[in-house]
Amino acid sequence: MGIGVYSLWVSRPERQNVQSDALAPGGRLIATYRTEPGTFNRLIAPQSAEELINRLTNATLVRVDRTSGAVEPRLARSWTTSADGLTWTLSLRDDVTFSDGRPFTSADVVFSLRAAYDERVKSAIATSLLIAGKPIQARALDAHTVAVVLPSPFGPGMAILDALPILPQHKLQPALDAGTFREAWGVTTPLQDIAGLGPFVLKEYVPGRHLLLGRNPRFWRTDAAGRQLPYLDEIEIQFTPDQNNEVIRLQAGESDLMTDRVRFEDLALLEEAEDQGRIALHDAGVSIAPDLLWFNLNPQAPVSKTKPWLQATEFRLAISEAVSRTALVNTVFLGEAIEIAGPITPGHGDWYLEDTRPPAFDPDAAIKRLQSMGLTDRNGDGMLDDARGQPVAFAALTQKGHSVRERSAAIVQEQLRRIGIRMDVVALEPRTIFGQWSAGDYEAVYFGIEPDSFDPGRNMDFWLSSGGFHLWNPRQATPATSWEARIDQLMQKQSTTTEPTERQRLFAEVQRIFHEQVPALYFAAPKVTIATSTRVKGVTASPIAPSVLWNAEMLSLSASSPPGR
Amino acid sequence: VNDTIRFVAGRLAIAALFVLAVGVGAFALVRLAPGDATSHLVLTGADPATIASERARLGLDLPLPAHVARWLAGIARLDFGESSRFGRPVAGLVADRLGRTALLAAAALLLAVGIGLPLGVLSGTRQGSLLAGMIGVLSVAFLCCPPIIATLGLLLLAAGTGWLSIAPGDLGVPLLALALPLAATFERIQSQAAGEAFDSANVHAAAARGLPRSRLVWAHAARQSLRPVLGTAGVMIASLFSGSVVVEVITSWPGLGQLTLEALLSRDLYLIAGCAVAGASLVAVANFATDLLRAAADPRVRHST
Repeated sequence: MGIGVYSLWVSRPERQNVQSDALAPGGRLIATYRTEPGTFNRLIAPQSAEELINRLTNATLVRVDRTSGAVEPRLARSWTTSADGLTWTLSLRDDVTFSDGRPFTSADVVFSLRAAYDERVKSAIATSLLIAGKPIQARALDAHTVAVVLPSPFGPGMAILDALPILPQHKLQPALDAGTFREAWGVTTPLQDIAGLGPFVLKEYVPGRHLLLGRNPRFWRTDAAGRQLPYLDEIEIQFTPDQNNEVIRLQAGESDLMTDRVRFEDLALLEEAEDQGRIALHDAGVSIAPDLLWFNLNPQAPVSKTKPWLQATEFRLAISEAVSRTALVNTVFLGEAIEIAGPITPGHGDWYLEDTRPPAFDPDAAIKRLQSMGLTDRNGDGMLDDARGQPVAFAALTQKGHSVRERSAAIVQEQLRRIGIRMDVVALEPRTIFGQWSAGDYEAVYFGIEPDSFDPGRNMDFWLSSGGFHLWNPRQATPATSWEARIDQLMQKQSTTTEPTERQRLFAEVQRIFHEQVPALYFAAPKVTIATSTRVKGVTASPIAPSVLWNAEMLSLSASSPPGR
Repeated sequence: VNDTIRFVAGRLAIAALFVLAVGVGAFALVRLAPGDATSHLVLTGADPATIASERARLGLDLPLPAHVARWLAGIARLDFGESSRFGRPVAGLVADRLGRTALLAAAALLLAVGIGLPLGVLSGTRQGSLLAGMIGVLSVAFLCCPPIIATLGLLLLAAGTGWLSIAPGDLGVPLLALALPLAATFERIQSQAAGEAFDSANVHAAAARGLPRSRLVWAHAARQSLRPVLGTAGVMIASLFSGSVVVEVITSWPGLGQLTLEALLSRDLYLIAGCAVAGASLVAVANFATDLLRAAADPRVRHST
């Protein structure tokens, strides 16, 4: 059945991720979103709802294009880099005012960075603004020129500034000075007290129902034809905790956009609606956040004593050979995924390395590999046992209620059973998984991590052995293995090299080491599809969330209402 | 009078103990489960010291008994703690949503009673008829259908026909989703009771006196058969609140159920406990009211306490 669906997919015309229809200003776009914001203060909240609102109401000095990865000017009109690469001099736009009418100056940039680093604020974005663990410095040279000084050369360059929303000093300075910044701009704050530089302003918030954003009349951008942006008058974000409800509402013409990606089980239904002209599907490319299976490789973990084979590279290689990625793609993703063997997918563009393809599906080779480790069926029950006669079995934690993860884990479980390995799948809610993972109290985890950048140099916590997100053995004082030491060395060099070709070469070597050592197993990277009503124009869909509203200022609505509305 | 006072005081004490037990139980269960409100901080790359200070701020570094004691002491001052997800006092958050859940539940209860009881009397007093059969089949269908399917079905119907708004916060769909299964339950119980009452000696005697059938059904059988329905009302109301979680989430009704789900996903300890206390309080109040009604209708209930 999966293959049939896949054929259907490939026979369909290619979807576009950029629309170029004629744009019409005005109107209210209705988007559904599953969670509510806990605050309107982006600096203190790491959740996606706050990031979405941040993208709509705030602006940054530069922006990373969520489809190409290119850095584009925003509040910084242009910039120069010093010869040693350690100082950027940014020329700021001088025609910009906050939504409350106060002018934007370099003081706001310096203030925003200070707030992000302030220890009392405990900002959720502080770590993404560190270079080699050290903060960057900003100095106002005049009202519209800022010097940004880096602690060391930084390969990803200006992209780091995409993480910093520029906040109004005149509104938030007192809270920062008083140590009450974390309480500032909570959801009970009168909305007229909140000012930003983004395309929209907060108009109305009804907890549990909706958040209404209105056009910022002082937004500083115009389109290529000189028309004032944003095109839309309003965006209404309706809180719809259940994704089934979201799909029904979109199909019925009650909403224009599901902010989350389309689930695979909904795709056939939505394609039918697309054929009837009721909705539009947008191809956002291949996900850059594939799910992965990793084992606890900490040499101090209890599992290193009780099940030493679980930490062996050969064991992971055997699993990689024993799992049919094709079966996974066809049954779980209904053909809407690419087979992969590492964290870098075709969605990462030029960073993807063609020669790190997955191994061929070969259960016999996997069995031989396991036998060479001394894992054989010693009691004739059809399952493997280790040298102590203990069954080769492990528990993998995965996310409860996440259908893709639960089904993927079930497929892997079944395929491993066929070669004599018992994998017990334990479905838990995410915070419980993080809790057990943080405590090192686990054997394996099947989960997914959402990066916010295409550039691996912005994801150092994953690659470095000292990183908090080095999933299989985080925060190592010294690298536990020689290959991790080598990756550390390469990534440190890669992230401090500004020459693109050299960065590519260094990262290719990192990927090859990863491919040989398989510290984490990757099987499939899904294609990301976004659904909107047909009246939404100007969609540029990205695999990075928020997939459509990251570029909300360019969205518009056609005059006609969709069927069903 | 003494019996009545003893009865009311006893029921109030049981209600208070029930609320306390639910609150402490929820608090302890969430505390004991692996992971907490700070677990997601690893996603932001926060260092262990930052996570530890956040845990201390939330009281998660305290031993469980001390933490429960501190929480209970706070409740005595009407301080239910602060939500880690929303950065607001739990009491205010819960109060906002409690009213909406109470509104939904009360409206659903009224509608269910309005539909279920008359239909139950009809089907019970016309056993074997086509009408009774149809009502019975419909009721059993609603009872068998899992709440999630029934709610989605209603949502699809509303979206497809446009009869009811499906916008978040509109009452129509959640009200029907909650009321119809409850009405089916009332109908089945009432049908059984009405059938027995209609066949009782006093109704036969009234019929022998020449009373018209409509009076026999609605004045005699219906009234007699209310007692068993009242007896199960407390359980029904409790199931109404537990069912409202699913209905609220699927239909985007901004009530306590939706808030509880958000709190659970965020492992927001104080908010979960606050929601549990609020939900238990609603059930306790409803049960208390039902007990009073039963006691008023049947003095034996009062004396049995």
